[in-house]
Amino acid sequence: MFDFDLTTPLMAVQFLILTALLNALFYKPLTKVLDERDSLIRNSKTGAKEKLAKAESLVKEYESKIAAARKESQSIVEKAQTEAREVVAQKTAEAQKEVIAKREQATLEIQQQKETALATLEQQVDSLSRQILEKILGPELVK
Amino acid sequence: MELLGSLTILNTFTLAELEVGEHFLWKIGNYTVHGQVFIVSWIVIGVLLIASLAATRNVQTVPGGVQNFMEYALEFIRDLVKNQLGEKEYRPWVPFIGTLFLFIFVSNWGGALIPWKLIELPSGELAAPTNDINTTVALALLTSLAYFYAGFKKKGLGYFKKYIEPTPILLPIAVLEDFTKPLSLSFRLFGNILADELVVAVLVLLVPLFVPLPVMALGLFTSAIQALVFATLAGAYIHEALEGHGEEE
Repeated sequence: MFDFDLTTPLMAVQFLILTALLNALFYKPLTKVLDERDSLIRNSKTGAKEKLAKAESLVKEYESKIAAARKESQSIVEKAQTEAREVVAQKTAEAQKEVIAKREQATLEIQQQKETALATLEQQVDSLSRQILEKILGPELVK
Repeated sequence: MELLGSLTILNTFTLAELEVGEHFLWKIGNYTVHGQVFIVSWIVIGVLLIASLAATRNVQTVPGGVQNFMEYALEFIRDLVKNQLGEKEYRPWVPFIGTLFLFIFVSNWGGALIPWKLIELPSGELAAPTNDINTTVALALLTSLAYFYAGFKKKGLGYFKKYIEPTPILLPIAVLEDFTKPLSLSFRLFGNILADELVVAVLVLLVPLFVPLPVMALGLFTSAIQALVFATLAGAYIHEALEGHGEEE
């Protein structure tokens, strides 16, 4: 069982040759492949990360733009509302003024007409009262 | 009677017989070489080389088939070596420790899975190269050389300081360690593989069918574990030589 002979050194040499052969045929090429794949994966990972960051910054930018636009629209709406309110107030005031003026004019006219009416009435009262007097007293007495 | 008759019929076929210590000797000059060990080891080497060639013949970024499998094996080996030697030092040692693992693993499984008995040899029998003490001693001595080389390359002659650190009293034990390391490595592997094959052979001799199957499965398991243990210990020894005593981590 324990018979050593030339097998031992020859096996050692053979093993070293096998190591060298496998190193050239197996370890080196496949290690290269593994390392290359590692670096490839790492590169694409960093690329993807960059893209992700870019996308996120774009999202942020757009979000801020959207917020700005919303603010602007709000301010426009507000402005329009205040303008409309002003217009309404102005128009209301104008209308009121007009109404008041018209009323004053009407009152004035009524007053005038009243006066003229009263004046004519007074004249008529005079003539009527003269006529009545003439009728009652006779025309010669009246003068 | 029929039962006994069938038994004797079974015995006329030699389904298994025990051959331990018989070798298919080749002569080179005045020296002898265990031919059966080399035949199987060449087959193992051929399998490894063919698998490597198939994996790297047409390398692609997205692996498939053999390349994927061999990449899995390589990553397993790299993890193993990295665990032992650490991120910084492991790369140059991947080929040595990885080849130890692959060679022992393929040898063990080849010895367990291929029905070598079908191939007749003038004497001895084909089996896993690792069930010959010559192979395991060769691998263990290479491991010893490897860790000495690692230590000297890293620290020069300062490597010897580890024998008298932390105290020179431990010098004999430190020296003894350099002998026990390859001894335990080689005998662990040799013993496990040979014992497994012997147990299977004895069981097959006693109960030819089905009963040895669980033992064979167990043998596959121990074979894989032994390959892993050998490679892991080789890594641990090299790491120890690189780091030295007392300054680990």
